[in-house]
Amino acid sequence: MTDVLGELLMRDSLDHCVKCTICETFCPVSNVTPLFPGPKYVGPQAERYRSDDAPSPDESLDYCSGCGICTQVCPQGVHVAEINTQARAKLRERTGFKLRDRLIARPTVAGALGTPVAPLANWALGNPVLRLALEKTIGLHRNAPMPIYAGRTFQRWARRRDPVTAERRVAFFHGCGTNYYEPRLGEMTVALLEHNGIAVEIPKQGCCGLPLQSNGMFDDARAYVHRLAASLAPYARAGVDIVGTSTSCTLMLKREALEILGLGDDPELRIVSERIYDICEYLLALHDRGELRDDFKPVPETVVYHAPCQQQGHGIGKPAIELLALIPELTVHESRANCCGVAGTYGLKAEKYQIAMDVGAGLFRQVADTASDRSVCDSETCRWQIAKATDVPSVHPVEMLYRASGLG
Amino acid sequence: MNDVIVVGAGVAGLTAAVRLAESGARVLVLAKGVGATHLSAGTIDVLGYAPERVASPREALGPFIAGHPEHPYARVGVEGIEAALGWFTARLPYVGSLDENLLLPTAVGVPRPSAVVPETMAAGDLRGGGDPVAVVGFRASKDFHPALMADGLTRLAGVPARALVCSALPEDRVDANGLAFARAFEDAAFRERVVTEVAGQLRAGERVAFPAVLGVTRPVWAEVAERLGRPVFEVPTLPPSVPGMRVFGALRDALRRAGGRLRLNNVVVGAERSGARVSALRVRVGLREETLRADWFVLASGGVASGGIALDSRWRVHETALGVPVHGAPDGERFSPDYFASHPMSTVGVAVDGELRPLGDGGERWADNVLVAGATLAGAVPWKEKSGDGISLATGFAAAGLVLGKPTKEVVA
Amino acid sequence: MAISDRADVLVIGGGATGAGVAWDAALRGYDVVLADRADLAEGTSGRFHGLLHSGGRYLVKDRLAAEECVLENALLRNLIPHCIEDTGGLFFSLPDDDPAYPDAFLEAAREVGMPAEEISPAEALRREPRLNPAVVRAIAVQDASIDAWQTVWTFAGGAREHGARIRTYHRVTDLHRDGDAITGARLRNELTGEESDIEVGFVLNASGPWAAQILHMAGIEDVGVVPGKGIMIAMNHRLVQTVVNRLAMPGDGDIIVPIQTVSVIGTTDIHATDPDEIPVTQAEVDQMLDDGERLVPGFRDARALRVWAGARPLFQDARAGEVTDTRDVSRTHAVVDHQARDGVSGLLTMSGGKLTTLRMMAQDLVDAMVAQLGHDRPCRTHEVAPPGPGEPLRLGGRLVKREETLLDEQLICECELIGRGRLETEMRERGTTNLDDIRRTLRLGMGPCQGGFCMYRATGILHEVEQLDGEQAAASLRDFLEERWKGVWPILYGDQLRQARLDDWIFQGLLDVEHLT
Repeated sequence: MTDVLGELLMRDSLDHCVKCTICETFCPVSNVTPLFPGPKYVGPQAERYRSDDAPSPDESLDYCSGCGICTQVCPQGVHVAEINTQARAKLRERTGFKLRDRLIARPTVAGALGTPVAPLANWALGNPVLRLALEKTIGLHRNAPMPIYAGRTFQRWARRRDPVTAERRVAFFHGCGTNYYEPRLGEMTVALLEHNGIAVEIPKQGCCGLPLQSNGMFDDARAYVHRLAASLAPYARAGVDIVGTSTSCTLMLKREALEILGLGDDPELRIVSERIYDICEYLLALHDRGELRDDFKPVPETVVYHAPCQQQGHGIGKPAIELLALIPELTVHESRANCCGVAGTYGLKAEKYQIAMDVGAGLFRQVADTASDRSVCDSETCRWQIAKATDVPSVHPVEMLYRASGLG
Repeated sequence: MNDVIVVGAGVAGLTAAVRLAESGARVLVLAKGVGATHLSAGTIDVLGYAPERVASPREALGPFIAGHPEHPYARVGVEGIEAALGWFTARLPYVGSLDENLLLPTAVGVPRPSAVVPETMAAGDLRGGGDPVAVVGFRASKDFHPALMADGLTRLAGVPARALVCSALPEDRVDANGLAFARAFEDAAFRERVVTEVAGQLRAGERVAFPAVLGVTRPVWAEVAERLGRPVFEVPTLPPSVPGMRVFGALRDALRRAGGRLRLNNVVVGAERSGARVSALRVRVGLREETLRADWFVLASGGVASGGIALDSRWRVHETALGVPVHGAPDGERFSPDYFASHPMSTVGVAVDGELRPLGDGGERWADNVLVAGATLAGAVPWKEKSGDGISLATGFAAAGLVLGKPTKEVVA
Repeated sequence: MAISDRADVLVIGGGATGAGVAWDAALRGYDVVLADRADLAEGTSGRFHGLLHSGGRYLVKDRLAAEECVLENALLRNLIPHCIEDTGGLFFSLPDDDPAYPDAFLEAAREVGMPAEEISPAEALRREPRLNPAVVRAIAVQDASIDAWQTVWTFAGGAREHGARIRTYHRVTDLHRDGDAITGARLRNELTGEESDIEVGFVLNASGPWAAQILHMAGIEDVGVVPGKGIMIAMNHRLVQTVVNRLAMPGDGDIIVPIQTVSVIGTTDIHATDPDEIPVTQAEVDQMLDDGERLVPGFRDARALRVWAGARPLFQDARAGEVTDTRDVSRTHAVVDHQARDGVSGLLTMSGGKLTTLRMMAQDLVDAMVAQLGHDRPCRTHEVAPPGPGEPLRLGGRLVKREETLLDEQLICECELIGRGRLETEMRERGTTNLDDIRRTLRLGMGPCQGGFCMYRATGILHEVEQLDGEQAAASLRDFLEERWKGVWPILYGDQLRQARLDDWIFQGLLDVEHLT
């Protein structure tokens, strides 16, 4: 079989498009607004009209949320979403970047600035007057689901904890979301892994660059992801698996950075990409080998599990569903939606907020209709979107397993 | 660990997977993407032309199979087809049987023979003529031209027909595909607007044709018919096919309920085989290659249109998932210069024995635990015979039966 | 039969030459009728690869042709910018090419005044990432791509504005000869079957490779027009963004032209006898794919859309002997003076030539006519531009346009971004019942799906715009499918075969066009 990286020319995959319209039927955005002409149009079709000196004359491309569902469902193997993301970067080369996008695409910056003054930052982000001002000035929608600063970082906890040693070990790629906003999730993950006899190493790490990539800032994204790969590569080289709790960031390292940013020649990224796993993927594999402690206590709750579009992008099915099925008395409704709408930073933007809410409407309704106690979802930005829209807490699957393991 | 891995999420693959999962097998479906259901008409065409138009599939299948011993139907027999149809019609609101083909109008008014059709389409039957037809199109739909269909109906079917154009815009869109219309039809306000606009223009005795967009998650055909007070029928249009989506949705939900799993964007690139036994498939998932094991494998990756069978630029034919030998590749001309003629390349595919096991170059079984179903099979020209759905359904159903240890020709009560 | 029309000049042939001649003559005040047996640019002009020559391909072998290209290339960019995309061009050599050729090329370029700049292999690969990495030497030139249909329609349209009558689907069935003078012709309307006679003062034979057939009607035989068959393959997208040529003596399959949304590889050069009998052979296709692979590795994995053959009107006086490889025949053009050669007045033939030099060819032909008529009417086509948008052709043009109408107008041909309004306008203006005619001017159905989706839509719209009744609509759809198939089946493999199967499903399975009579 040919080298998989030989197919890294995303653009040339447009040749496989037979115009079947299947991608259009699944696109969450074009199904709710005609402002986005659809993945087939913006991807393989328009790409034939783009050249290096006239990169992307079509602004409507910017309405693509980058959810990647189109690539998932294409029966011919067109890398639709990847073509779109690359075209968007070229569009931005021409039109430039908004200040807002520069800000929200750098979670480490926002995190570093806000953490020391968390109470103030949280108050400000929760203040309707300030939010309205933000919307009017930089275009961040007043109702956009912003996360809450934890006031501490997971990295600091990591430095101060008492690590368990064991024969088996993993390296933990926790991501910016856990670091600045949900350090508790990181702690739960470590506890769960240690509970299963796995030692957890927590390398110093930065941002994977996904928001930069989604917003078209490719050079910056490359710098970020390269730095991150450099800090994780030593583990991969030593044969240590890397696990990630942010399914979208994990996908970035597994595949997207190589395909979209053209980093197939980066040896550190390549080796990381070969050994990185979504945490549920990893835990289910343990379970399949009989190595997962499945003496779970009952959790008599009703939840809706939503697989984020980026989780589906891993192509591994929905391991969280199978893991949650191991918890006694837990009723799990599988979300029918392909996307919750937020798509990373997309749904935060004033001009896209309503589209994002329309995309997620069905999912939000399902949470309400099932009278769920909480929703379960593998990506932090999705959790914040769903929680805000449904007023029901949203947690990572790890948290359910953590509780069912009697760890807290 | 999987009992069965099914390659392909079209009608053949999903039918096999659902039947297996409902019988208790642990089933994993791998698909490059969503199958051809979204492109289909939504009808189950068993045999329409052989080469003359077929009135009764039940009567025509015998001679057809005798005359086409390499055809997939020869592997499952009339009983196999009937069993599959029975299974299908028990779970989806379809009407018809092998006894007699209905004649449904295509979007250009050609009467097309179909054996089993959604109930939403049945009132379009042209056998023996029938009531005149008012064909309703929409200004916002470029994919359905009612005047063209009305003209065809009048000329070719001898049924008086005329076109009505409705100006209601679904979701305020000027350029809406079938799915947008289908969503709009699920909204009572839109439905009411359409019904009001159409009702006033109908003449006595007319039945009403709509493009096949009367709801997708919830078919609203019956409500429209009731509001108009006369028979209403859907007509399949250019893809995306809403009736096809209904079929996909029903089968996918059934698979989910039965505990089966579906993984999209998984490309099968090879098989690990020793002797006549395949132990695992090599699957490309993103940038990785995984090895997935199972006891049984059902290959339903589709034909040339889906990429299951490929012809490269050196004119070599391959079965692209497992590398099973392909039969029927012509040495000489692959195509006739006349578009409507038969083309030697048309029947290329994987040849199988009476138990759907793929055959090697010398006619021996290539593997004991691999079954092949659907458009991947050699020996048929589905778009000319009007047999594609019948082949997919019957062979997918039979494949599952074979894995479960049931003989192909058992009739399900 | 009564004379039903009169004009000063009858131009036979509606390709680039004929349109250019009609424009030139009309601009000089002549009353012109142009007749073509089919649509404009249906012959050779509509079947070439779209190259606006820099002159590079002729530098070493045919100095005169190169000089002509340099001149006319610059002129046309000013006169019809909307037909030309400034893609630039590249000549590159591979290890097995003649190492002396590049220097000979550069030397000749200097002498002829053709802009040429040698660039490093690394720079060549930077500009064209898909180029064969074994490139040894590379030279950048001013090739461009030119849309033949836009060009022909622009000149014909200009002629029409100056009073010319453009009669498409009018076949010349006979030339009227009174003694030694050509006095007119008989035309047959191919759509209605109706015949008519036209009386003219002069006949200009611009019928390209069909020139000999026309002259036969005047009793003139043995004119050396040798149809040179060349096949071309359109690839689904731009594998290269500039014109890419092998830096070697011109041979088969040594050029790829990015034209509109496709890239076209060409070509072969085989003597044909009948310009209407130029079948594409399997051997030619295989050869062309191999050639492509050497220019752009991975070519065989790319998607081929269509293959076709064109017949070049190469001039060699048949009295000089038999011809097999037409590449050695001169590519420059020549006015065949039948007064001098055959003793027949009122008739001139243009032979040879290439689209790049159409203006000059027209000038030479009309100048010769003017001289024979003893008039004083100088040519002005080098300074008067035919009416047109005036903006250069850009690849993204249609994409930009579509952004403006995204929410207001239906997109009918999605591959080629043709909106409903544009289509209906074209249908009304052309007054045609033939979808193929619209295909040529709008590129309808010429994208990857080859009409799979848009043909049904276009048929429905044509029917609605009331230009066709149902039976005609049905016939038009079937005709389109049969016509399209001719250009598709010889290169049907890989992705395009998948597309063809989907299209088969739509037309035969879903619509059942086979039984639509």
